[in-house]
Amino acid sequence: MNAAIQFKDVSLTYGSGTDLVKVLNNITFSVKEDEVVSIVGPSGSGKTSIIMLASGLERATQGSITIRGQEITNLKENKLSDIRRKNIGIVFQSFYLIPNLTALENVLLSLEANQKYNLDNEARLLLDEFGLSHRIHHLPSELSGGEQQRVAIARALINRPRIILADEPTGNLDSVNSNSMIELLFDYAKKSETALVLVTHDNSLASRCDRIIELKDGEIV
Amino acid sequence: MVKLSNLQQYYFIHRYALRDISRSYKKLWVISATLFISLLLLSLTFSVKESMNKEIDLNSKELLGGDIEINSGIESLQDVIYERLSKLGQISQTVSLATMLSKKGDSSVFIDLRAVDNSYPLYGEMKTMPTNAGQELSLATKKPTVLINENIQNQLQLNIGDEVVIMGQDFSVGGVISSVPELAQSVVFGEFAIINIAQFNEFNLGSRDSFLNYDYRLKLNKSSDESLQIERVKSILVGDKSLSIRLPKDSGQSLRRIIDNFANFLNLVSVSAMIIAGIGISNTLLAFVNQRNISIAVKKSLGFSSKVIQFIYFYEILLILVFTSILAYCIGVMSPLIVNDLIPKSFDLELQTSFSIIGYLNIFFIGLLVVLIFTIPSLYSISEIKAVALFRNTFQPVSLHFSAKNIFYLTLFVILLVGYFVFQTEQQFFTFLYFMAFLITIFIFYGVSIFIISILKHSFNVSSNSYRIAYRNIVAKKSLAPIMTISLGIGLTLLLTLSFVANNLKNEISQSIPSMAPDMFFVSINKDEKENLESYIKSIDPNVELEFSPMTSASFIALNGIPIEQIVTGENRSSWIVQGDRRISWLEKPNQDNPIVRGEWWDPGIQDQMFISMDSRAAFDLGMKLNDKITLNILGRDVVGTVKNFRKVDYRDISINFAIIINKAFADKLPYEYIGTLKSDLSTDAIQSQVIGKFPHISAIKIDRILSKIGEVLNKIFLAVTGISLIVIVIGLIVIVSAVMVQATFRRYNNLIYKILGVNFPTILKAMTLEFALIYLSLIVFALSVAILGSYYIVENTLMLSWSFDLNLTLWIVFSTAAVSFVLILITNRNIFSPKVYPLIRNE
Repeated sequence: MNAAIQFKDVSLTYGSGTDLVKVLNNITFSVKEDEVVSIVGPSGSGKTSIIMLASGLERATQGSITIRGQEITNLKENKLSDIRRKNIGIVFQSFYLIPNLTALENVLLSLEANQKYNLDNEARLLLDEFGLSHRIHHLPSELSGGEQQRVAIARALINRPRIILADEPTGNLDSVNSNSMIELLFDYAKKSETALVLVTHDNSLASRCDRIIELKDGEIV
Repeated sequence: MVKLSNLQQYYFIHRYALRDISRSYKKLWVISATLFISLLLLSLTFSVKESMNKEIDLNSKELLGGDIEINSGIESLQDVIYERLSKLGQISQTVSLATMLSKKGDSSVFIDLRAVDNSYPLYGEMKTMPTNAGQELSLATKKPTVLINENIQNQLQLNIGDEVVIMGQDFSVGGVISSVPELAQSVVFGEFAIINIAQFNEFNLGSRDSFLNYDYRLKLNKSSDESLQIERVKSILVGDKSLSIRLPKDSGQSLRRIIDNFANFLNLVSVSAMIIAGIGISNTLLAFVNQRNISIAVKKSLGFSSKVIQFIYFYEILLILVFTSILAYCIGVMSPLIVNDLIPKSFDLELQTSFSIIGYLNIFFIGLLVVLIFTIPSLYSISEIKAVALFRNTFQPVSLHFSAKNIFYLTLFVILLVGYFVFQTEQQFFTFLYFMAFLITIFIFYGVSIFIISILKHSFNVSSNSYRIAYRNIVAKKSLAPIMTISLGIGLTLLLTLSFVANNLKNEISQSIPSMAPDMFFVSINKDEKENLESYIKSIDPNVELEFSPMTSASFIALNGIPIEQIVTGENRSSWIVQGDRRISWLEKPNQDNPIVRGEWWDPGIQDQMFISMDSRAAFDLGMKLNDKITLNILGRDVVGTVKNFRKVDYRDISINFAIIINKAFADKLPYEYIGTLKSDLSTDAIQSQVIGKFPHISAIKIDRILSKIGEVLNKIFLAVTGISLIVIVIGLIVIVSAVMVQATFRRYNNLIYKILGVNFPTILKAMTLEFALIYLSLIVFALSVAILGSYYIVENTLMLSWSFDLNLTLWIVFSTAAVSFVLILITNRNIFSPKVYPLIRNE
C-alpha cells in the first residue's frame, strides 16, 4: 500500500533571529492510504501545524512532504489548491460553515470547487445518510453544533477524498455528538479505504486509531 | 483576471453571485445607492444633451430661418446680388437694430427691434397671441403694427391695441410674440419686437448712423442637389468680404455651446460624485471582505483559488453596476420629457426621448472604470486571507492591497477615465486641470487625516475620559477620519469654491459695478444732434456728468496681411474683437483711465496714416506686436493701420471703452456718430422719458435694468450649479454613513466594554461629538483653504474681478453641513449607545 502522506525531516519555524520560534523540528512519518492515525500531544506541541502542512495551507521551512506520491513542498498556490481539491477533505474544530449558505449549499460548494456542478442529489443523499434530510435548506445559524459539524464532515467527504484531515473535530461537541461524529468519520475511512489523520486531545479516541503519533515540543516522541 | 475554464464554471459564479447579493443586499446597499445616484446624474446629462442636440439638428432649417443665411452687416445687399439670389429661391430680408420703444406719454424700454418682410418666416412659424397677429404686420391699410414679446408687455404694462412710439413713429401693439423659429435669445431673455420692413424704411436711417444688421435668408427652389445650389449661392457672393454666410448645420451654435459647457460641468460633477462613491465602494467592499474572511478562508481550504473568489465578488459588483446603470439610463432617457416643462416656451423646443445602445454603453463604461479603480485594491486583499487561520481561529483584518501590478492597473484605468472625459469635451485643458486638481485634493485630504492622527498621537495626555475615547477612535486602525475627511472634504471644497465664486460675482453685479458705472447710456446720437442733446440734458440737471465719444463701424480683416480667420479661432478669449462689425473710436490724447502699457502715443495731426491703439489683453491673445499692420474694413473700405501702443482697458466699470482706438487726425474724415454716458442724482426714469420724447432716434439705456437682468440670470445659474454640487456632498454623506455602519460592530463592542467598566452614556456621547468635531474642524480648515485659493484664482484671474471673503456665507455652509453630517452619524449609530450584553457573552 502506498503512503497517502509522507513527511521527511520536516521543520516549521516562524519569525527570525532572536524571535525565531521552532514549531516542528525534523519530523518524519508517513500515513498509508487506508490507515487511521491520531496525532496527540500537549497544546503547542505542533499537532495542528502538521495538518496545516499536510493540507498544503502552510509551507514547510525545510524537509519534504509528499501527498499520494506527489512532492508538494515547492508547488505554487494554484497547484496546491488543485491537489487539495482532488485529494483532501478537511474537518475543523469550529466547523466553519459559510453563514449565508444553507446546509445543502455548503456541501455543494465543495463539489463546485472541483468544477462538479448540478450534483444536488449526491449532496442530498450524503446529508440524508448523516441524518440531516430535514435540515438541508437551513442556514448554519439555524442548526445545532452537532448538526453543523455533520454538515462540515459531509462537505469534507462529498468529493470522496483519499485523505481526511480532522483538527479536533469533536472539540466543540458534547459526548453524544462526539461519538456520532467519530463513527461517521471512522465508518467512511474504513469503507472507502481512506487515510484519516485525527488531531485530538482525547486519549480514548486516539486509542481507537490504527496508530498514534505523539508530539512534544515539535518533535515526535 | 481569472480565466473561466468552461461555461458551467461561469454559470456557478453567476448563480453564486446572485445568491450572495440576494442574501447580503443590506451590506451592499451603499454600493448600489452611490453608484445609482452618480450614474443617474451622468445619464441625465448625456440624455438631455443628446436630445437637445438632436432637436437642434432636426430643426436646423427653422433655427436658421432658411436653407442659407447671408449677413451683409450694416449695409443692405447690393441689388445685383439680390437679383441673382432671387432666381435661386425665395428671399426673406430682415433688419435688426437696437432702439427705444415708448408707451405713449409714459416710460420707455430699450429693445431689440427686427424689421421683417412679407416672406418671413421662410421655415417654421412665428407663434403669437392672437394667433393671426403676424398677418397684421403686412396689412398696409391699417395703422403700423408692432408685435412685442412678453417682457416688453410686462415692463410697460401694454395691452393689444395700445399705442407705442418707435423712432418717433406711432405704432399699434398688434400682438404678443411667444416664439420665433430662429430662436432669438432676446425673445426669451430680453426685450424683442417685430415690425414690417416697410415701416422700418419710413425711419430713413442711414447705415452709418445706426446699429443696423442686415440678414437675408434664402429658401432654395426644389432641387435634387441642394449642395450644388449652395455652391451657386457661394459663387454669387464670392469676392465680397463684407458678406458672411451660415448654413443649417451652423444654426443654434450659441445654444449648442451653452449646452456643451453646462453638460461638461455636469459631467465633471457626476464623475466627482462617482469617484467619491468609488471611495465608498472601496471601503464597503473591504469591510465586506473582512466580514467574510472566514467564508473566504473556507473556500480556500476547499480548493478555490484567490482569483476565483476575487472574481465572484467582482462579478457581484458588476451585476450591481449593470442593474444600476440600466435603471439610471432608463430614467435618464425619460428625463427630456421632464426637461420640456422647464425649457422656456419661447424656445419652442420639444425634446424627444431617444434610447441608444451606444448611449448606455457610454454610461456603463464610465461606471466600469470607476468600479475597476476602486475595487481592485479591495478585492486583491482577498489574497492576504489565509486558510490556515481556520485552524488557529486568528483572523486579522486585511487592508487595501497595492502591489506593483495593482498600481499599474490603477494608473491605466485612471488615465482611461480622465482621457475619456478630456477627449469628449472642447475644453480639454480645463477638464484635465479639473481632474488633476480633484486627484490632488483627494491626496491632500488623505494627508489631512494622517496629519490629524499624528497630531493627536502627540497630545494624548489629556485628563478627560471623553477625549481619551475620542482619541482612541480616531487613531484606531479602522478610524472614520480618512474616509470622512476625503468624502466630505471634497464635497465641501466644491460647494465652498462655487459659492465663493458665485458670491463674488453677485457682489460685483449688485455693489461694485453700480458704484462705478454710469446711470445711463445714450446710443445712436447723430453727430449733428450731440450738442443739442448735451445742452438739453444739462438744462434738466445742471450737475450731470456727461461723457461722449465718437465712433464708427469697422471690421477686422487681416493682421500683417494674413486673413484674421486664419490666425484666430473661435476658442480664442479675444476672438469677439475680430468677429463681425465692431465700433472703434478715436482720441487726440491718451485717456487716463486706459494707461499705455507698451509703446507710445502718436504725434497729433497726421492725416494720411492710420495709427492704432489696442487693448493690451486682446493684443496678447491675438498675438500682436508693436508696429504690426492691421487691415480694418471701415464702412466698406479696407484701410491698413500701424499698431503704435497697447492700453490697459478695464471693462468692469461699464463706462465707454473701446478695444481699438485710432488717431483723431485720420478719423476726422470718417462719417461717425456718438455714444454717451450720464451720471446724475436725478431719477433716470425722468431723464430717459424726457430725452426720448425730445430725441426719438436716440436710444437711452438704463444700466440698473441691465445689471438686474444679469443678476437674475446669474442667480438662477448659480442656484442650479450649487444644487448640483450638493449631490457630491450627499454622496459623501452616504459614504460616511456606510463607513459608520461598517464600524458599528466594532463600536458596539467597544461601548459595551466601556459600559461594563462603568463609563456612562453622556461620556460616550461627548466622546462621539468630540471625535466628529476634531475630524470636521481639521477637514474644514483644509477645505476652506483650498476653496479660498481656488475661488481667488478663478475670480481674480479668470473673471478679472476683485475677490472678497464672506464670513456669513462660510459659516452658514460650514455649520449646516456639520449639523446634517453629525445628525446622520448619530442616527446611524443609534444602536451602539445601548449595546446588549448577552450577544457579547455568547460571542455572537
